[in-house]
Amino acid sequence: MANYISMDNLRFVVHEMLHAEKLCSFPRYQDYDKESFDILMDSTKDYADKVMYPSFKEMDEDPARYDDGKIYVHPVVGEVMKYAGENGSIGALFDYDLGGMQLPHLIHSALAHIAQCANNSLPGYTGLTAGAAGLIASFGEKALIDKYVPNMLSGKWGGTMCLTEPQAGSSLSDITTSASPSGDGSYQIKGQKIFISGGDHEYCDNFVHLVLARIDGAPAGTRGISLFVVPKHRIAGDGLESNDVITAGDFQKMGQKGYCTTHLVFGENDNCQGWLVGTEHRGLKYMFQMMNGARIDVGLTAASIATAAYHASLQYAQERPQGRRILSGGVKNVDAEQTTIIKHPDVRRMLLLQRAITEGSVSLLMQASLYHDLSQAGPEEDRERYHDLLELLTPIAKTYPSEMGQISISNGLQILGGYGFCTDFPLEQYYRDIRITALYEGTTGIQSLDLLGRKVVMKNGEAMKHLTKEIIDTIQAAENYDELKPYAAQLKNASKELQDTIMHLLKFAMSGEHERFIADATIFMDFMSTVVHAWQWLKMATVAKTALVTDNKTFDAAFYENKIHTMRFYFKYELPKISSCKTTLLNDETLTIPEEHQSVLA
Amino acid sequence: MKLLVCVSKTPDTTTKVSFTDGDTAFDTQGVQYIMNPYDEWYALVRALELKESAGGTVTIINVGTADNDAIIRKGLAIGADDAIRVDAAGGSAYFVAKQIAEQAKAGSYDMVFFGKETIDYNGSQIGAMVSEMLDMPFISYATKMDMAGNTATIARDIEGGQEIVEVDTPFVLSAAKGLAEQRIPNMRGIMQAKRKPLNVVPAVAVDEKASIVSYALPPAKSDCRYVDAENMDELVALLHGEAKVI
Repeated sequence: MANYISMDNLRFVVHEMLHAEKLCSFPRYQDYDKESFDILMDSTKDYADKVMYPSFKEMDEDPARYDDGKIYVHPVVGEVMKYAGENGSIGALFDYDLGGMQLPHLIHSALAHIAQCANNSLPGYTGLTAGAAGLIASFGEKALIDKYVPNMLSGKWGGTMCLTEPQAGSSLSDITTSASPSGDGSYQIKGQKIFISGGDHEYCDNFVHLVLARIDGAPAGTRGISLFVVPKHRIAGDGLESNDVITAGDFQKMGQKGYCTTHLVFGENDNCQGWLVGTEHRGLKYMFQMMNGARIDVGLTAASIATAAYHASLQYAQERPQGRRILSGGVKNVDAEQTTIIKHPDVRRMLLLQRAITEGSVSLLMQASLYHDLSQAGPEEDRERYHDLLELLTPIAKTYPSEMGQISISNGLQILGGYGFCTDFPLEQYYRDIRITALYEGTTGIQSLDLLGRKVVMKNGEAMKHLTKEIIDTIQAAENYDELKPYAAQLKNASKELQDTIMHLLKFAMSGEHERFIADATIFMDFMSTVVHAWQWLKMATVAKTALVTDNKTFDAAFYENKIHTMRFYFKYELPKISSCKTTLLNDETLTIPEEHQSVLA
Repeated sequence: MKLLVCVSKTPDTTTKVSFTDGDTAFDTQGVQYIMNPYDEWYALVRALELKESAGGTVTIINVGTADNDAIIRKGLAIGADDAIRVDAAGGSAYFVAKQIAEQAKAGSYDMVFFGKETIDYNGSQIGAMVSEMLDMPFISYATKMDMAGNTATIARDIEGGQEIVEVDTPFVLSAAKGLAEQRIPNMRGIMQAKRKPLNVVPAVAVDEKASIVSYALPPAKSDCRYVDAENMDELVALLHGEAKVI
């Protein structure tokens, strides 16, 4: 079987860098220890090897499809839903009293990474079910929880989130799905939702849709949106009956073809009942709880696809003989055996770029997951700080792997030459699969607006101050080692440049030029993401260096030395790109604001 | 039925093997360990199947230090009821067999299961030694096993075919591929494992009968030779003349 993940890298991040076992000192996680985390990771890898990876290519070749009102998906979807329900993994993050496992988010993310590396079309089915059940559990009344959550956590019923409509994608304020009170506590739901991942298939008895809709007479805009539980089949006595939710189609996509993406019609026959979750008009706020988790999950999906692609291109480079190395004097010995392409510096550059992007992404995603745990179960006095850090880093943790992962896989595909373009090798599938991650759960543009327009300025910049403190702590730890001092200085300078650029942009916000403030938010995202990942790389390198000098090694010395080498690569090849971003962001010319250049794109 | 399953800790299959102490010891630095697959996938799972069909208990036993608790925990997560760890830094096959035999005698087990070999030293010795020490029959390389009352019918692979053996309990068995199918511990099992009994007992004194003189790695594999797909004559000549496999 092909290698699709480095378990050593995952163990390094989870244990040596983030010290997962320290979470076990908090009451919520006291039933766990390091050994149970290790067994969980190893068991997930075993399952991924045995069940998930073997269907990775098959799900692409035999995609989800719509036929005669039904959605057909690969049978492994049914197997995974059943296993995840029985195993307890759908309810892994839930409280014990809801039948959950109270697993830390950090470990949950590590397990998701393994599964996503093996087959990125599968984990969404269980992940969205868990997310939808989580929303009901967090904001729904007890009767609603009792009715739906147990069957969702057992994998018998699937769950989805229904936001997008044909006329309302990124702009949720324009949704028109309606909810009319029936007088019995339920609502009549009417409308259409598109791009509903995992929205219907034959391997679940029922689907519980979490639907955003407007109650009759609700205020315009996002303030008038409420959240409803709308099952495909509603409960009637001891059985189920149709709830007038029609599956109208399955979108055929360029990637993630095994992950069905449905078009749902609610209330075509005026017989679709929904039940309000929480309070009316607060639906979007509730949904964002799920969205934030989903954004981290999408970042994980992207990082995982790019990770699997890195291992595929690495294996190819190690095996493919092509050309000869240039000898001193610039000549080649044409009589010598061909060298494997991994010996060519430009191929090594591409592989190191892949490694720097993927391992950096995984590191930040695990860091964000740890902040999630600390914000919920850590010391009371620190929880708000960790929550702010998570809020600030979420758009970056979603966007960097999604965008840079594409570049990473593109380089991997390049390593395979013409074979990279062929279906004989998996690179072309990875290249197609990752593309969606920069689109769903908020496009890169939306994430960038969120980062600059909301998160950087939230609480008067408090979250940014917390992040700066984390970066400074890492710089100071790195300065203990002469070998790392130049990189610590480079990150210190980059962090200052980031601060200067924020101050420059804030002037526009403060003077009322809001459109100008956020016009180049995507460039800002690129800038800040690059600095944040430099922070993660310096942190990893410092941990590696500490292991090397203290003779306390979980892995062999080469593992740690390679970590430091990849950090040096990132600081030489990637971090300098912030100069370009800064130059653009400080340039006073405004070339994209419509009123000033109406005709240029006419 | 009381079933005892002996489990070993072995380096992960991707480990780069090297030696230390003048090539007399395996260099453990940076090595990731797993439960020996023959113990886990076949011996343990078949024992659990027997317990599930006929009742009883499954105990796992390991000879080693506290570092081995991780693989013992995995065995408990898969479904064993309890575990014994003989607290010793290891030793020869004879030393390990002695420790296991002592515990097996004390526990009066109906069957003692081993994997057919460990994937590190490939000795395949301990099961046979334990059966001798317990004065029990030993059926090695079992690929299928059915129970009827106290009688087991066991298939074992032999050169060019298969042998069917009938044996009454108590007996010792070594498990080969086919005896059972790998079970992956589930999340609830992993949580429960932490609460299952792990009894740590001291080792008994043993007079070692043999010592390791040295280890050596096999010769490095030579580079690949690429032969044009159209040039079958060259391929045949190489396989005949150089590789000497045809």
